[in-house]
Amino acid sequence: MRHFEDTLAYIDRLQRADTADAICRELLGVTSTFGLTALMAGTVPQPNTPSGRQKDHVMLCDWPVEWLQRYVARNYVDHDPVVVHMKSLQAPFQWREAATQTQVDRDAIRVMGDAGEFKLRDGLAFPLVTLDGTVVMVSLGGEAVELSNAEFNMISLVSTYAIGRAMQLQSLQSRTIDHIELTRREIECLQWAAVGKSE
Amino acid sequence: MYALTTSELMERPDLWRAVHRLRYEIFVEEMGWDALRRPDHLEIDQFDHDEAIHHLVIRNGELAGYQRMLPTTRPHLLTEVLQDLYVGTPPAGRDVWELTRYAVARGYRDGRRGVSTVGSELIAGFVEWGLSRGVDKVIIEFEPMWVLRALQLHFLATPLGYQRTYGRQEVVATLLTFNEATLQVVRARRAHSAPVLRIGTPELYSWKQAS
Repeated sequence: MRHFEDTLAYIDRLQRADTADAICRELLGVTSTFGLTALMAGTVPQPNTPSGRQKDHVMLCDWPVEWLQRYVARNYVDHDPVVVHMKSLQAPFQWREAATQTQVDRDAIRVMGDAGEFKLRDGLAFPLVTLDGTVVMVSLGGEAVELSNAEFNMISLVSTYAIGRAMQLQSLQSRTIDHIELTRREIECLQWAAVGKSE
Repeated sequence: MYALTTSELMERPDLWRAVHRLRYEIFVEEMGWDALRRPDHLEIDQFDHDEAIHHLVIRNGELAGYQRMLPTTRPHLLTEVLQDLYVGTPPAGRDVWELTRYAVARGYRDGRRGVSTVGSELIAGFVEWGLSRGVDKVIIEFEPMWVLRALQLHFLATPLGYQRTYGRQEVVATLLTFNEATLQVVRARRAHSAPVLRIGTPELYSWKQAS
């Protein structure tokens, strides 16, 4: 593992980040040293969740834009071996294990092939559990991933602080707009704007 | 939640026994800390000294939750037993205590994975207890998944060292700093705004009936 002081510095910067975009930037700044250049974190939607609602599950996202659009439009979340494997395993694993340990059908092969086009060939996925028991899945991807156990521990700890910071920002936000009457759609728009997405 | 010194706890043999029995059930029988195994099925260590504070949550006349607070101004678990969990000099002082033996009895874990109401009373309890006596930092050696929960409750969290594996468990020593705002978030999450810290000592109905 890198020096402990480095880990503390990463965590300190994450805890000062005040937007979801800033959190993504700080986290990928750390993980890209290990070849992990893309990040998706959120709760896993139920199968057949309409694509318009899938983004409600996203907490942090820094994926190639085209890949994200294709992933949502083609409902890849229901076929992605990484997501399928996480649902059953609920423990950390490397992407390539998902391909060998789940039943890979034609849809799954298509997801993996498409991911490869965007230079997402391997990665890490691990679950985090919130106060109410909800599982948040963190998935970090890149072209080639080789990590020692200690490096994996460092990345998962720093990622935990990133998700924690994102959840703090979300709760601060929901408290400040508590007293204003907003429609569900308006709240969604605000949340979406806060994570830096436009549509 | 009740906060008792070790001598207050010892004045009540029923409570004292319930505390050490619960600790045995959870840490030895359930989590497999075999070094603490004893024929009397009570878990007691060198840190149950006269400066330790015992936090007890009672439900239905029985001990449902427990945690032990240790001052960092004298030897404690991190400095004596878990030295490989910190790098450099661990924080210490009158405003820093170590939280150990956090335990929720089996019948009081509501959700499969979430924090139970007994568990959240222990959390609200140590924050209240701390703020009432000038303590705003606790050291906890816990599973890394607790880091996210602590952040959700708006604690400021700082790891004190590397994550280690003890048996089947992953552990990371973490310093949690808190203030009034943390207490408000903890209370809001519990949907329970009244203080949880009680004065005096609790009754245990089950022990009364049994004896």
